Parts: sequence; structure tokens; C-alpha cells
Amino acid sequence: MNLDSTFQPLDIKAEPTLSKVDIPKEYKLPLEVQYCKRCVVSNQRPRIVFDADGICNACRFSERKHTKIDWTERERELRDLCDRFRRKDGRHDVIVPSSGGKDSAVVAHKLKYVYGMNPLTVTWAPHYYTDIGWFNFQGLIHSGLDNLLATPNGVVHRKLTRLAFAEMGEPFQPFIYGQVAYPLAIAVQHGIPLIMDGENGEAEYGGDSDTEDKPGFTAEDAEKYWFSGRSVDSWKEYGFTDADLHMYRPPNIESLFELGVERHFWSYYRNWIPQEHFYYASENTGFKANPDGRSEGTYSKYASLDDRIDGFHYYLMLLKFGIGRTTSDAAHEIRDGHIERDEGAALVRRYDAEFPEKHYQDFLKYCQITEDYFWEVCERWRNDNLWERINNEWRLKQQVS
Amino acid sequence: MKPPVRLIARLDIKGQNVVKGIHLEGLRIVGQPGQLARDYYNDGVDEIIYMDTVASLYGRNNILPVIENAAREIFVPMTVGGGVRTIEDIVGALRAGADKVAVNTAAIARPAFLKEAANAFGSQCIVLSVEAKRRGPGQWEALTDNGRERSGVNVLQWVEEAESLGVGEILVTSVDAEGTRRGFDHELFSAVRQKVNVPLIGCGGAG
Repeated sequence: MNLDSTFQPLDIKAEPTLSKVDIPKEYKLPLEVQYCKRCVVSNQRPRIVFDADGICNACRFSERKHTKIDWTERERELRDLCDRFRRKDGRHDVIVPSSGGKDSAVVAHKLKYVYGMNPLTVTWAPHYYTDIGWFNFQGLIHSGLDNLLATPNGVVHRKLTRLAFAEMGEPFQPFIYGQVAYPLAIAVQHGIPLIMDGENGEAEYGGDSDTEDKPGFTAEDAEKYWFSGRSVDSWKEYGFTDADLHMYRPPNIESLFELGVERHFWSYYRNWIPQEHFYYASENTGFKANPDGRSEGTYSKYASLDDRIDGFHYYLMLLKFGIGRTTSDAAHEIRDGHIERDEGAALVRRYDAEFPEKHYQDFLKYCQITEDYFWEVCERWRNDNLWERINNEWRLKQQVS
Repeated sequence: MKPPVRLIARLDIKGQNVVKGIHLEGLRIVGQPGQLARDYYNDGVDEIIYMDTVASLYGRNNILPVIENAAREIFVPMTVGGGVRTIEDIVGALRAGADKVAVNTAAIARPAFLKEAANAFGSQCIVLSVEAKRRGPGQWEALTDNGRERSGVNVLQWVEEAESLGVGEILVTSVDAEGTRRGFDHELFSAVRQKVNVPLIGCGGAG
């Protein structure tokens, strides 16, 4: 459903300065681009590590996942965890942060119907729902699950999105706040100490390997893993009030200790294979692939479907790191043995740098910005080490081959 | 009397493997083309369709060696689809042992290609492949690139036009039913049937 006509004019009191950012320095990226020999990711992904054989740590982790990890044992650990938190009095005993997409659908549905838990799915709303995203979200509820949908104030959210886009080069930042903090807030409010997230992104997609063997985090790890980024309160410099920002704030740390919160990764307990999630969700939670075909910037029809803004999250990633959505999708599919590396590389060359045209106007209206302003911000975040301008057109100097 | 029914096996091929998805998405590897084709042949299938699902990605059809091998031991009509774009592509497929070629994306981009192909090889050789996505009651849109791209083309108008351009057969795949094993989209097949007289192959939802 198109919501343009409901958008109120945003009152922007202060703007970030749009001076050029030195991306390699800002994100500590190597200047020489190197591609993993096994998948298609490059060393420009922040925190990823390549070994002496030129293999990325996500591939090394995947290798271990598919050969060394004893998944029967891990499932036994999952059953133990469930037994430790299961309630018999009808109250919810686990929170599943869920967009309604295929991955969280599997987590929530299996926790209830395979492991006998009583999950509360908690959805932090996308910025701007797509029709298929709303359909799949409703489908999950109608497959037999309780849900709380949290939607922050549209005016504040749009303003924060605009500012985060310009200042951090990350229009998703307001969404990220809620994704991390809101399940914790609900945990405290409802007295539910167990939260089950989906995948450990650092392990699955490449990043900080220290957490690969951790089932999850507790209040002890809160500062390091949950609240390490830019603080919610820092946005006050743009005129936001405490009331504006309250919804984005995590609960205070004492309440997390008091509750004894534990936030685990499903991907620690069960082998994370997105394609298999598609099959399970199609069968059990009414999940549908995108009826409009593939998403822009990638070849897939089933991943990250629910937010009209998300193409811009990926596009900024492409500008900064030369890695787009196809790279992430293809790299995971190569590691899972669904496609060969040469197919992945061909897919990257075909789709990775595609501009998200379909929701471009939506994004401009949502943020209340002009095309000129949009491109000014993009130039601020473009990594000159990776891009060159040829015949009036920006192109990546190299792509995986 | 019911019209005669021919049972046709369709193998979607990617690289060395036969793949299968739901709604043409989430392609799982299900076997090897040589072995599966032999199994279907021995089980008495009437025809086999080979679809190269990544031909358009690579800009070339990679399954001709598969067809060459199959042609030595499989003696039912074989159709090859995926990445068929030029008269030379058709020559290549026929030389490898195919009896027919199926065309989707190239025909939508340039409908006259169907006429040129039918003139050159005869209508019996040219199959129009349609990936139909339901858009409303009695309305379907033709998709391309293995169901990943929209074309804006109305399926019912398109099959009529393609018949007039000389295709000898139409393969209609229901993207909505494909891979679900919940039955065929009979409404789609009937609607297409009412528009054209050439043989129709219904695909998607069997099982």
C-alpha cells in the first residue's frame, strides 16, 4: 500500500555536514582488494579475515559447520535450553524477534511445534512495508503464533532515517536500534528471560570470528555486543526529545541482569541454510516468494522482502565496500553447495551494482529529500579506492571473476 | 472421448545438476541429468524437456553436451530450452540431437524471432515457453529469466500472438503452482486452451 499521502512534512532543524568520508580509513579496510578463492566476498567487508590460502573466515566457518560440528549434539543442547526455560502455566517462555520473513518463521514455528515452547514473536516494523512483506508477516501469525508488532512514530522514524542516511551512510540505523533493543524491552516488560535470534551474522557472513562458538550472549555481554554502536541519545543534537527517542532505547542494564536475560542464536543450534528455510516456511507458515520476481540488486526472490527502504541499505554498502546484496546471497549459497563459484561470480557481475530504482521515489519521499541531496550523500560515502568515473558514469574498478 | 495425454518429463538444469524449486525459487540440487533422463525414459515417459536455467546468466547454453549424450540412449522426442536466442542457437540444439527448442525470454524481447525460427525450421520445431504469474482473476503476466523478471506481457494475448507467428506448441508453466505439488492451475490451462489451437503442455504443481 502506498503511504505517500500520509507523510507529514518533516521539520528538519539541523543537518549533518556532507564532507567526504575516507572510507578505507573509517572502516579500517585494506587498500588492495582481494576476493575469497572459495566464495565471492572480498576483503572489503568490515572485520572479515582471509587466511594464508586466500579463504575468508565465513567459508572456513561454513566448512566446519558442514563437516565438523555435531548437529545432533547441538540439537540436544537446544532441547536442554528449552527445558531450562519452558513454562507450564501458559505464559510465553521465549521471545523470537521476527520480521515475518522465512528465517525467523522457521525459528518461531519450530520452537512452538517441534520443541514445545510457547514463543512470543516480536516484530520491529520495517520503515515502509512492502505488500509481500505484510502478507508474509500476517501468514506467520496465521500459521499459529502470537505476535507483538511495534511501530515507532512515523515522523520521528523518517527523520532519523534521513539523518542516519546522511550522517552514517546507513538508512537502516533506526531499524537496527529497534531490532537490537526492542526484544530486550519486551523481555523485561513481560518477564521472559530467553530470546532466540536467527543467525550469528558475524560467523555466517564473515566478520568477527570470536563469537563463532558462542550460543549467545547475556547481560554481561550487553555493552560489547548489543550497545556498542552509536548511542540513541547522540541524536539529541538534531533536536530529538527524550519522548521521541524512548522507543529506540534499550532497557537499563540493571533490569537485564535482574531478569537474567539470555539471548541465543538459532544458528548455533541448527545448521543455518536459508534455502531450507524457504522450503519449511513455504510448507508451514504460508510464506510466498516475491510475486514481482527477483529483488533489485540480487537474483533471489525470497530474501529481505519486507521493507521498501532496504535496497538503499544495500546500495550504501555497495558504495562503501563494493559489495552488494548479490555478493552476500551468492556467497552463502556457494558455501551451502547450492551454486558453484563461477555462477556466483556471474551473478555478482550481473546484479550486484544494480541501482534500487523501484523504490527510489518512495525513499526520497520517505526521507523528504531531493534527488540532488540523495546523490550528494551517496558521493559522501562512495569509496574512491573502489570506484572510478568513466564517461560520466560511476563504475566499480573491479568485481569478482 | 478424452483427448490423448502425453506425459512429459522436464529437467531444469544448472551446471552439472538437475535442480528444482518452489515458484522457480530456492533451487535445490535433485540429481544428475543423465541418470534422471534414463530413469524417466525407462519408466515410459513420452518426451523430455531440458531447460538450462542459467543459460541467460552466462549468455550461452551449456547443456548441449548433455543432449548429445542423451541422444545416444534416449529415443523419445527431446526439447531444449534456456538461452535460445538466435537461429544459430537452434541449429546447435538440433545438431546435438534435440527435436524441438523452447523459447521464452528472446521471444518476449523480439516476437519476430518466433516467425523467423518457424520459417527456418518448421513450426513443429518451435515451442513457446511461458512462465505465467497470476495477477488477478483470469489474468496472468509472462515472466522471464526463470521467473525472476517481469515483462508486463499478458499471457493470454501473448500465446495468441505467438501462435500467429508460427509456434507449433506452447509450454505453459504456472509460477504460482510450480514446486508446490498441490495440483495444476487448470484455470490457466483452460484460458490458454481457449486462445490457441496448437498442442499445449501444462507444467507446474504436479504431484
